[in-house]
Amino acid sequence: MSRSPTGWDVTSPVQAEIFTIWRSGDHLELTGPCGAAPWIVELGATDHPVEVVDRIVRDVVGDPLLVHSTSWRRDRDAVILSFVVVIDSGLVGEMPSVPITRSELARSEATAAPSDIATSAVVEHGLRHMAWLAKDDPIVAETLDDPWKMLLAAYVPEPFRALG
Amino acid sequence: MTDDQIRSLRCACGWEASGRFEELVIAAQEHGRRIHNMTPTNEEVEAMLLPIGPAGTADHRAQLDDVDARPA
Repeated sequence: MSRSPTGWDVTSPVQAEIFTIWRSGDHLELTGPCGAAPWIVELGATDHPVEVVDRIVRDVVGDPLLVHSTSWRRDRDAVILSFVVVIDSGLVGEMPSVPITRSELARSEATAAPSDIATSAVVEHGLRHMAWLAKDDPIVAETLDDPWKMLLAAYVPEPFRALG
Repeated sequence: MTDDQIRSLRCACGWEASGRFEELVIAAQEHGRRIHNMTPTNEEVEAMLLPIGPAGTADHRAQLDDVDARPA
């Protein structure tokens, strides 16, 4: 779940990091045009992050079921806004997809951010955030089907959080 | 840079393309705009390229077939 350290990359000061997630039977999987690697999107000075993520997901993948910003952190010489995008299984098509496994969270110090945050920890927190929304947000609760909510029940609910 | 020189380009997300510079500018700008909400300039594309072979060879023709072959 990593990007190539070499090659052309997004370098804007604010970036969106999209995790496109779908339910494959009894487990959740990570997919998208970049496969299991974070899908990085440039956010311009006048861009609304949610609008950009929603538009680009619709253009590239198809209509998402849910788009939620789940955390932010400082990384890659930028501020990274992480998004969980829930899609229907019918949109996965030929995109690479990998099962999501549980991960330890990157915990902050009392007054300082974690020194290193793995992508898997960002996904873990994102799903904990979705678990919180599934209980707190009527639209999320209505949109996610029961199998989705059963899978999220295994995650400790957490609100939006600064990861670093 | 000569027009017939074949170059390759790789995005950090894994997308790759090979071809003439003008073809790669188009491919990179389409990939950047569509996938990453960014449009690299000609200069930015040039800065990312590596030469891989002369034009007109079998390798060249095969590489051209690969331009923007990957959706991401």
